Amino acid sequence: MTSGLFFFCALQAQQTARQIDEVRISGHHRCTLMADADGEARRRLLKVLTGGVVSMIGALGALPGVRFLLSPLRAASADSGVPSIRVASRFEVSPNKPLRVTVFGELKDAWMRLERVKLGNAWLVQSPEGRVRAFSAACPHLGCAIDWDEGAQRFDCPCHKSGFAMDGRCLFGPAPRALDELDVDVTDDSVKIRYQRFRPAVKDKEPLG
Amino acid sequence: MSDPRPGVPERRTDVGARPAPSRPSEGSRPPARSLSHWLDQRTGYSAWVSLVVDQPISGGARWWYVFGAILLFLLGTEFVTGALLAAYYAPSATTAWTSTVFIQDTLTLGWFIRGLHSFGSSGLLIVSFIHLFQVLIFGAYRAPREMNWWVGLAIFGLLFAFALTGYGLPWDESGFWAKQIELRIVGTVPLIGPTLQVLLQGGRSLGHYTLTHLFALHALVLPAVVGFLVLGHIALVRRHGVTPRWSQDETKLAQLTQSYWPHQAIRDASACAVVFVLLSLLVIRTQGARLDGPADPQAIFQARPEWYSLPLFELRAAFEGALELVATVVIPAIFALFLAALPWLDRARGRSPSQRLPILFGAVCGFVGLGVLGYLPYRRDQNDAAYQHFRAEVNQRSTLARRLARQGVPPEGGLAVYRNDREFRTRDLWTEQCGQCHSFTGHGGTEGPDLKDYNSRAWIERFLRNPDDPLHMGGAKFQKGMRPVEGTADEFKGLTEWLYAETGATDVDTALIERSLPLFSEKDCDSCHERDGVSADNGPNLKARGTLPYLVDFISDPADDRFFGRRNKMPRFAGKLTPDQIGDLALFVLSESKK
Repeated sequence: MTSGLFFFCALQAQQTARQIDEVRISGHHRCTLMADADGEARRRLLKVLTGGVVSMIGALGALPGVRFLLSPLRAASADSGVPSIRVASRFEVSPNKPLRVTVFGELKDAWMRLERVKLGNAWLVQSPEGRVRAFSAACPHLGCAIDWDEGAQRFDCPCHKSGFAMDGRCLFGPAPRALDELDVDVTDDSVKIRYQRFRPAVKDKEPLG
Repeated sequence: MSDPRPGVPERRTDVGARPAPSRPSEGSRPPARSLSHWLDQRTGYSAWVSLVVDQPISGGARWWYVFGAILLFLLGTEFVTGALLAAYYAPSATTAWTSTVFIQDTLTLGWFIRGLHSFGSSGLLIVSFIHLFQVLIFGAYRAPREMNWWVGLAIFGLLFAFALTGYGLPWDESGFWAKQIELRIVGTVPLIGPTLQVLLQGGRSLGHYTLTHLFALHALVLPAVVGFLVLGHIALVRRHGVTPRWSQDETKLAQLTQSYWPHQAIRDASACAVVFVLLSLLVIRTQGARLDGPADPQAIFQARPEWYSLPLFELRAAFEGALELVATVVIPAIFALFLAALPWLDRARGRSPSQRLPILFGAVCGFVGLGVLGYLPYRRDQNDAAYQHFRAEVNQRSTLARRLARQGVPPEGGLAVYRNDREFRTRDLWTEQCGQCHSFTGHGGTEGPDLKDYNSRAWIERFLRNPDDPLHMGGAKFQKGMRPVEGTADEFKGLTEWLYAETGATDVDTALIERSLPLFSEKDCDSCHERDGVSADNGPNLKARGTLPYLVDFISDPADDRFFGRRNKMPRFAGKLTPDQIGDLALFVLSESKK
């Protein structure tokens, strides 16, 4: 529809130009003063028209281009189903020591679909009540991989020195929140987690699409 | 810009017609004015702007001068859409097709941007032809504009290089084969050909480096060179002015002269607007440029070049063997040399076409010849049912591949997209796991039964008559296998009908089956076979033989007591394949056996 409108405008512009030409030709025989007066008005109209046509091409051309460039924003919708992926056997999780697990799964990158690639790491811990909990190994500050310090009995971020308790609480350092807890399913003998990434450096835990 | 400038023909004084506008003094300029003034003092840009806008159009603005502006506009469109596409395109043999499909089918308006770029390139070539032809008619190649003619010819040639390099970038079937053939043609050029071919394709065969090379040429080298030449072309037009019609004398021309802005500008802008609208409508109507399925170097492909190469394609077909060079190198070179030498070949005194008839006649013949040469193969293909059928297949593959690509393409890219297709995967699985022993050819000769028409009456009856036929268990070389059944034709018919009914077929003669059931023990079948679907015996239990559940169970474990038991020779697939894969294979056997 826009292009139809545009086409109409362009046609109008052409017709005006033609009429103006006719004015010009008849104007040749008039006295100089009159021709100048006519010429001035004509020139101004032509300039406005040209400007209008050029800006319309620009606008109509820019619109699809900008929308094309903004495509990645649209694709960033959060995934509806985060798959539950088996990472360990139940008996491997002990109350004394966190267990570091690697999550393998399907990854989509633009057009490409990769099966069984490393999505990230997580720490499995057993709470005092015997429940299995999982924390993303990405520091909530700026995403460095946190490590378990056996001596100090806490999680440490090697980059900016945040420390976290075994239950995920932030003990010290620049991290704005506790370790990001992941959903865990324990069925029969296996521990499955729903691995997700969260926006770093903000106070609230916000999943990334 | 309202200052009158010396040398601008249609200048007018601001004094006279209207009250003179009060000229603001240096100190009290309005802000907008002062910014441009500030900028002008530091860059002198107004002189450059003036060079364009105040360009005198000798003889006045005319609609037939718009083609140069259209070309510039289309080049600009190509540049902008090209930059946009480059933001999403990935040049390599594994990613070129998939990233193009992603642009075409997934990104917002990607099909429109790619369509503008693709159809715009054809538009560029068409309008270049018009522009070139116009220059020939107006005699604009003559002194003193020879340099401009040559620069224009160089741009014309490079536009073809643009089109040729760009067509291969999607690495779809058509693009791949076009490049494959063109690069082989390059390879046939004496002396430098083979080296040039390897350099262009970045190796001994087409691959990743072919695409990076095409892309570097298309998106970096050619734009830089063409951009430079176009600037030169415009500068030379500014120097010599437009070439007015031949019929007008100098004084008349001078009298009619107008400035570019706004008299020619409005015509140029309107023409560009019309071109833009037509181009957009074309893209919307066709839903974007064509995109075939991923390139398959092993496929049989009836390659055709793009429309602009069809004359050369047809020409090449007329020359055989070593003479091919005449079509691919010699004739195009003569054509180019003729055009380049035109300023010298033209010995006429004036620009009027009537004084240059031989030149114009030659040019018209050349262009008509190109048109005919291009049209002939097009018409031949249109009337060739086999070729049209082939094109329809290519389009079907394209639709399938593009649909499958939406699920995401495996990292191998391109052809790996077909692995998203369940049927394709199953066929692969069949070839890998079953095809060594079984076939659907109807010839047999392999280790297991041939499964063509596996559930038909003919197959069943032939099996009963001779189980060790090469089409059946012959290849399996069973020790003490099934004995052939002996009996009358009617008895065979009855037994066959019963087994046929077990496959789940509905078009059966139930009365015949009722009558024939006693044959099961009369012919001693029951000494090895059961027909309750549960019990074990020496031979397979025949209940529901040939149905989907039967095949699933059979493929899962042919050594089950219900089937071959200890005598089994076929591999067991439960555990080796997933239940889904086994189900797919069973379905595949049923559907493929009926083909």
